[in-house]
Amino acid sequence: MDSSTSVALEPLLSFLAFSLSKLESGFYRIPGSAVVARYVKSSHQNDPGRTILELILVIFAIRTLLQSRTRTDRSGKHFIKFSEKEIDELVDEWAPEPLVQPLSEWEQKDLSSVPVIAGPNGPKPKLLATGKVVTNLASFNFAGLAGNEKVKERALETLQKYGLGSCGPPGFYGTIDVHLDLERDIAEFLGTEASILYSQGFSTISSVIPAFCKRGDIIVADRSVNFAIQKGILISRSTVRWYDHNDLKSLEDTLISVEKERKKRKGPLTRRFIITEGIFERDGEMVDLPKLVELKLKYKYRLILDESVSFGTMGRTGRGLTELYNVPASQIDMLVGSVANGLCSAGGFCAGSAIVVDHQRINGTSFVFSASMPALLATSGSEAITFLRNNPSVLLNLQDNIRAIRAVLEKTEGITLLGHRASPIIHFCLRTQQQSLSVTQPTYDYEAEERILQDIVDDAIANGVLLTRAKHLHGQEMVESRPTIRIAATAALTRKEVEKAAGVVKASVTRILSKRR
Amino acid sequence: MSRPSSKLPHLIVPVPADIKGRRRSGSIVKVEEVGGRTEELLDRSAYLNINANWVNAKGAWLIHVVLVFMGKIIIDTIPGMTQQISWTLVNLIYLNLSYLMFHWVTGIPFDNELHGGAYDDLTLWEQIDDGAQYTPSKKWLFTAPILLFLASTHYTNYNPWLFAINLTALIVLAIIPKLPQLHRQRVRFLTGDASGFSTPVTPSFPKMDQNPLHAANPADAHFG
Repeated sequence: MDSSTSVALEPLLSFLAFSLSKLESGFYRIPGSAVVARYVKSSHQNDPGRTILELILVIFAIRTLLQSRTRTDRSGKHFIKFSEKEIDELVDEWAPEPLVQPLSEWEQKDLSSVPVIAGPNGPKPKLLATGKVVTNLASFNFAGLAGNEKVKERALETLQKYGLGSCGPPGFYGTIDVHLDLERDIAEFLGTEASILYSQGFSTISSVIPAFCKRGDIIVADRSVNFAIQKGILISRSTVRWYDHNDLKSLEDTLISVEKERKKRKGPLTRRFIITEGIFERDGEMVDLPKLVELKLKYKYRLILDESVSFGTMGRTGRGLTELYNVPASQIDMLVGSVANGLCSAGGFCAGSAIVVDHQRINGTSFVFSASMPALLATSGSEAITFLRNNPSVLLNLQDNIRAIRAVLEKTEGITLLGHRASPIIHFCLRTQQQSLSVTQPTYDYEAEERILQDIVDDAIANGVLLTRAKHLHGQEMVESRPTIRIAATAALTRKEVEKAAGVVKASVTRILSKRR
Repeated sequence: MSRPSSKLPHLIVPVPADIKGRRRSGSIVKVEEVGGRTEELLDRSAYLNINANWVNAKGAWLIHVVLVFMGKIIIDTIPGMTQQISWTLVNLIYLNLSYLMFHWVTGIPFDNELHGGAYDDLTLWEQIDDGAQYTPSKKWLFTAPILLFLASTHYTNYNPWLFAINLTALIVLAIIPKLPQLHRQRVRFLTGDASGFSTPVTPSFPKMDQNPLHAANPADAHFG
């Protein structure tokens, strides 16, 4: 058996031996082959194990070298792969869409319900549509500076001296001496070292935050901060932790947990900020400033306080929460306020130490990349500060009016008043059976409540009181808040007028709610 | 005409799996992806990364050979040096220094305003060529330690211990970190032991996860 297989295999074996010897002689005829043969022999060193390992390594290296290049990280992962046919179909099917979708019926109605005022705005403006005079409880005119004669005179003088425009960004020939005067006035008024003026009140805080907070820093912010602050935090790319609305116990817990995490990671000490508002624009709550400052000093955070609503309204002369609580303004690292809301002019400011302010002259994006304010608005702001200094009784009137409005509205059925009782912004929302006082309960029908509130607003306008809903970007904010109507109290109206207006609002509410029921 | 069957999907910003819904994991070792957040990807495409594109220059390729050569000569001048120890030293020093440079240090050491910290989690290897794999520089950097190792085993006869040390160092320090499967992955030990990272919330506060638009906001950002 054995011999027969070997006989059968013999021609195969001899053929193999012949071809091998042929290959060998052919190999040695190639120039340089002897070198390769010697190299391989000396590498082998009579150790087949190592040679096999090295051979595996070489094969792996060659395999890597032969791979083709893959895509980079940032391209293509989100791209959809279409086949040629699908691409052709999509292209053939394509019809241009309008840039903006046509408005839905509700949006159309909402847009057309905004009243247009004929003539100057003030406590009692005239509506363009009907020609009637209404009481204005919607515009921010807290100290009654809108239409103030002295401010108007000064503004006209400035207009004649400086003209209207400002000719450029503040850093590039756009700063006029009146801007510097206003900055100095604000700083002296508040008691800080310096202040910097921004030309738009809304974008002030969303510029201040990214100027100081960078990626890797830690921000601890209140959940119900306004949209501008949310955008500023998003732009800054910092790590953000949220604490419950106006709940300083939750803030303290958050601060402790942040410190614990940092210790656990053994991370480096980075800059840490607490961001909150003095009076929240969303619902009128007021923050407890001394406790906040105490927490900030204890855990070594910097405080960015947005006093857009409380500057010009709180305190004996309108200096804001620092005057109200008797906290020195140097305790607040960046005090951001609004010249548009509090002083009835335009723009915003950030007050703080000289270093803080100087840093923003280069790094505040809204300061560097927007035109500065027209001169007449700056002098109006300065004049308004003088007015507040000399007439502190105006704020007492404001507080009286606030109390009057709240007294009437508290007795109204079917609505809940929100916010602090001294806040010049009074929000009220519809009351559900649960009797909740928080703005952020999710068990309500957003659209339906909006429509009811809009009906109340329309009814009030028809009866001579200008109201507005608090408008938010639904679906784009961090926290969805319940629809509310926002009343901005003003010192320009007498107590009787205010009570009458609040009575009209109460009647409208009762009327609409009883119709709905 | 029939509609094409392929519909463009809604634009959803992808949420990396390690951020959403931090479940407690009791594992000792966990492999985590880093550096994949959308805003980081966007920030990286703003400017050229000059920290990483010098490796594409041919001089940077040649310098490996030059440095190894000079290192070998310098180490050979130490009295009492045998060939085995000399080659081992050259090999180990090269592997360690290149590991330190390419796989240990993260981020960019200068010009932080340009990229805003978008590269802070990435090592130099992961920054090269924007994360593309099998590019010419990466192929060279992959091959160089292997060539050095093969040269060293050719010119000396290692005893089995030194051979094992050299081979392990090559595999652990040079080959494994450069594998494309480990791109932007980090091995973490004993994570999630303590209580979870989210902000303590009072019980009455509604859950925020229900709104799909909030899926990718920085609200639940955490460290690392």
